[in-house]
Amino acid sequence: MTELKSIFTEEFVELLKKISTEGIINAAKGFAGMIGTELNVKSSSVRLVKLLDITKMLGGPEDETVAIYLKSEGTIAGQMMLVLPFEKAMGLVDQIMGEPIGTTKALGQMEKSALQELGNITGTFFLNYVADNTGSYVRPTPPAVMVDMCAAILDIVIATAGIENEEVLMIDAEFLQGELSTEIQFWVIPDPQTIKKYGAK
Amino acid sequence: METSIGVGLGEIAVSQNRDQILVAFGLGSCVGIGAYDPVKGVAGLLHAVLPEPLNGSDVESTKYVKNGIIKLFEQMEDLGAKKDRLIVRMAGGANMLTSPGLSKTFDIGTRNIAVAEQVLGEQKIKLISQSVGGNTGRTLRVYVSDGKMTIRMIGEKETTF
Repeated sequence: MTELKSIFTEEFVELLKKISTEGIINAAKGFAGMIGTELNVKSSSVRLVKLLDITKMLGGPEDETVAIYLKSEGTIAGQMMLVLPFEKAMGLVDQIMGEPIGTTKALGQMEKSALQELGNITGTFFLNYVADNTGSYVRPTPPAVMVDMCAAILDIVIATAGIENEEVLMIDAEFLQGELSTEIQFWVIPDPQTIKKYGAK
Repeated sequence: METSIGVGLGEIAVSQNRDQILVAFGLGSCVGIGAYDPVKGVAGLLHAVLPEPLNGSDVESTKYVKNGIIKLFEQMEDLGAKKDRLIVRMAGGANMLTSPGLSKTFDIGTRNIAVAEQVLGEQKIKLISQSVGGNTGRTLRVYVSDGKMTIRMIGEKETTF
């Protein structure tokens, strides 16, 4: 088993950072276009995170959280997740549907579909950029929307990545929206096989 | 005064301190195994992440259900507990991803439950109760004072099981 650390050179991190930052800015454009508002990428980072520490990266483990999750398949494989507090998710639904903030009180089927669409656009915009700039082929899966305790949702990433690795490479960013100050986490976790393949080049 | 002791991913906590509550917050596909010896007042909680190591590596880690259960019982025995007196309950093992096409590949929860049941069987331990599966996260609490165990799901009250 190749340790991710061994290919995690400064040069490789810089390359990843460059591609992913642009990809994230592109994702934010897709996102902003959909909700019709200004959206800024506050910060983005590329880092190795110990799997068992992932839950410490967000707020309380029991906090009610909404996640929009999708996978990318093809030559660049990985997981992508938008993580946001429950209240914030309802505000986003209002924006997507063109309703005043505070209208949505619960996430039913229609509201979840709106969030799925948001995941779809963000994921596609991100992946398209990465694919165009690396000459790879990628295809996103249909997104899944989950509402649950924060820790329970993060189990998905931990369980899928943890089968083979102690650490994951994580690209994360925060989207900041003018009216609503709460941050939205955007996580990209490439599969270790993908990292190894590109890291070795 | 009661104090909550958080039991994180891949961790085990054992205690005889009657003021403590052992807590595994937000178990999704992870499983929590709670155990209590009523004679010695020893309680323990395991928060396991994955069923078993892939290719024999890292077998010692308590993030795996199999090794975690064995270590949990060992640590409780170190405090004087006897395995044949243990009251054992299990929670978690949900399938958090219900989207078509994704759910099957990721159903680690079901595998965690299956391995836990198998290991408990090999250890001749009977599960007294369980709250497992489904698509919802759970918080599991073990009260050291009397061995009471509870679960809580989002938007719901804490209930014994």
